[in-house]
Amino acid sequence: MHRAQRRLLVPAAVAASIALALTGCGASNFGGDSGGDAAAEDGPIKIGAVLDITGVGANLGVPEQNTLNMLAEQLNADGGIDGREVELIIKDNQSTEDGAAKATTQLIENDDVDLIIGSSRTGPSLAMRPLVEAAQVPTISVAANAAIVDGSEWVFKTAQNDLVVLERILDDAESKGYTKIALVRDATGFGEGIADIITELGEERGITLTATESFEPSATDFTAQMTNIRAADADAVIIWGITPSAGLAQAAYVQLGVDKPIYQSHGVANDAFFEAAGPAADGVIAPMGRLLVADELSDDDPQKPVIDEFIADYTESFGTSPSSFAGHAYDAWLVGTKALEAAGTEPEALRDAIESTTDLVGISGIFTMTPENHSGLTADALIMALAEGGRWTLYEE
Amino acid sequence: MTDFLQLTVAGLSQGSVYALLAVGLIATYTVRHVVNIAQGDYATLAGLGSISLVTAGLPLPVAILIALVTVTLASVLIERLVISRVKNLTTLVSIILTLGVSTLLQAIMLLIWGAEAKRLPAFPGSDLTLGGVSIRSQELWMLGALVVVGGGILLFYEKTRWGKALRASAEQPVAARIVGISPAIASMLAFAIAGFAGAAAGVVSSPIYLSIWSGGLLLGLKGFVAAVLGGLVSFRAAIVGALLLGIIESYVAGYVASGWKDAVAFFILIIVLIIRPAGLVLRPNAVRV
Repeated sequence: MHRAQRRLLVPAAVAASIALALTGCGASNFGGDSGGDAAAEDGPIKIGAVLDITGVGANLGVPEQNTLNMLAEQLNADGGIDGREVELIIKDNQSTEDGAAKATTQLIENDDVDLIIGSSRTGPSLAMRPLVEAAQVPTISVAANAAIVDGSEWVFKTAQNDLVVLERILDDAESKGYTKIALVRDATGFGEGIADIITELGEERGITLTATESFEPSATDFTAQMTNIRAADADAVIIWGITPSAGLAQAAYVQLGVDKPIYQSHGVANDAFFEAAGPAADGVIAPMGRLLVADELSDDDPQKPVIDEFIADYTESFGTSPSSFAGHAYDAWLVGTKALEAAGTEPEALRDAIESTTDLVGISGIFTMTPENHSGLTADALIMALAEGGRWTLYEE
Repeated sequence: MTDFLQLTVAGLSQGSVYALLAVGLIATYTVRHVVNIAQGDYATLAGLGSISLVTAGLPLPVAILIALVTVTLASVLIERLVISRVKNLTTLVSIILTLGVSTLLQAIMLLIWGAEAKRLPAFPGSDLTLGGVSIRSQELWMLGALVVVGGGILLFYEKTRWGKALRASAEQPVAARIVGISPAIASMLAFAIAGFAGAAAGVVSSPIYLSIWSGGLLLGLKGFVAAVLGGLVSFRAAIVGALLLGIIESYVAGYVASGWKDAVAFFILIIVLIIRPAGLVLRPNAVRV
C-alpha cells in the first residue's frame, strides 16, 4: 500500500465516525437545579412543552411553539389562572425520541412542571408516555397516532385520531367505487400501524390494500417508492406523512405520472405542503380540521368564532396564518388551562378535570374527554379538503 | 426496464450533488490535507442564501450568482481565519477544526433562516418524458452543473498556470515553494474552489431536495464517501464514484427497501477503506489530481 493511502485511512475513518456520531446525537440542554415542591401552591403554575422545533418535525413544532408562546402571553396579560402567573417552559426534542425523553425528564425532575404539552409527532410522544405515566404528570400530546393514548392514565391528545382520518378517506374511496388502495407511508411512529388499519377498515368496505411503501421523514428523493407504486395494482393511493416529506412525495407522485386519485392525511394540513409539493398538490384530497378552510365555514358553525379569533391573533403576531398543528397546540393549551382553572395543580384532580372536559370548542373540533377516551374528538371534527391553486378548499363536509 | 431507467435518472441527479461536494473536498485535501467537514454546509448556505435573495425580489440568476460568490468568499475567509492560523495542521486536526466550523455555520443558519426546510424556485425549463422515463428539467440542470463546474475545475487544473501551480503544491509542496508558488495563495485558491463547488451543489439541488440548516452534514458525508472512492486525490474517480453512489442508493431504495438508502454510502465507505483505500483510482501510486 502506498504511504499516501495509508495516511488516508486513519483520518478518513475518524472523520466518518465523528460525523456519524454527530448526526445521531444532539446537544443536551442543561436545566436549572431548582426543584422541590415548596412553591407548589403560591408560585407560578408551570406548564412544560416538548416540541419538534428542529429536525424533521420543524414544520409542526415551530407553529406550535409560536402558538403556546402567544397564548401564555395572552393568559398572563389577563391575570393568569386564579391570580397565579403561568410559566411556560418550552423544550426542543430535535424531532428525536431520546430528545423527547431527555426533555421530559428535565421538565419533571428540574422544573417540577404541573402539566406537559407534547410532543409534535407520534414517535417522540410515545417516548414520553412511560415517563409521564410513572411520574404521574398530566400530559397532552399534539400528535396523531391513537397508540399515544391507548389505555393511558395520564396522557391525552388533541390531534384527530388516525383511525377516524382513515375512515373518512376510505368512505370517500368506497363512494367512488375504488376497491384497491396502495399506501406510501411515513416510516416513523406516525405511519406505524396504518397499513393494518386500512386492511381492517377496508374489509367492511370491500377495499383491499395492494401495496405498501415507506419513506423516512428526512427523505428528499421518492423516485424509488413512486416507481413501485406506479407498478402496483391500485385504483387510488394514500400518502401518509408530514410536511415537507409528504409534499416532496406528492411532487414525485405527479412527476412520475402515477396518475391515480390521491389521498393524503391530516399531516399535510398546512401551507408548507404547498411549498414542498408546488403545483403537484392540486387535486389532493385530505381529511383535516376546519382551520384551513375557515373562510368557507357557515356562520352558524360553532367553531367559527374560535377559529376566526385564533387566525387573527396568530397572523397579527407572526405574519403568517396558522397551520392545523398550531391548532393542535391551541387545543392542548385550551384543554389544559381550563382544567387547571377548574382543579388547580394537584395531579390527580387535574387529570380528572381533563377527563371531564365536555363540549369544549377548540380549533380542531369540539372536545369531550372521558376516563376511557383521552382523545376527545369524533369523526365530526374532520372535513374533507381539496388542494386547489396553492391552498386547501372545502371539498365536502 | 422503465423503472430501472427511472431509478437510474434519480440516482444520477442525486449523484451529481455528491460529485460537486466530492470535488470540493478533494480540492482542499490535495493542497492542504484538510478534510473539510463543513463542505456540505456550503451547499446549504448557498441554497438558503439564494432563497432569501429571491424572496427579497431579486431575479433568480442574480440571486444564485450572489450566493455563489458569497459562499466562495466565505470559504476563503474560513481558510484565512481558521485553517491558516493553525501551525502543524494535520488531517486529524483539520477534521476537528472544520467540525467546529460546520457546527458554527449550522447554528448561524438556524438562527437566520429558522428550523423549517425552504425551497428555491425551479430553474427555467420544462420536464420531459423519454420512453416512459420522466426527467425533471431541474435534474438536467443538476447534471449540467456537474459537467460545467466539475469539468471547469478539471480544465482549470490541467490547462491553466494557476491550476498547474496548485497541482505542483499538491504533489511536491517543498519544490513548489522553491520555484515561487505561494502556499498561502494555493491554499486560498483550493478553498475558493471548494466553496464554489459546494455552493453550486446547493443552489441546483434546492428546488428538488429543499434546503434546511441541518442538511449539510449528511450531504457532506456522502460527498466524502465519493471523495474516498477517488482516493481523496482524483477528481475523475471521485465524480464517477459519486454518480455510482447515487445510482446504487437509488437501486437499493427501489429494489431492497428505502430505509437502507442512507446506509449504503457508509457500507461502501467501510468496504473501500478496508479493501481498497485507493478507491477507484487505477494507478494508486501516483498522486494525481
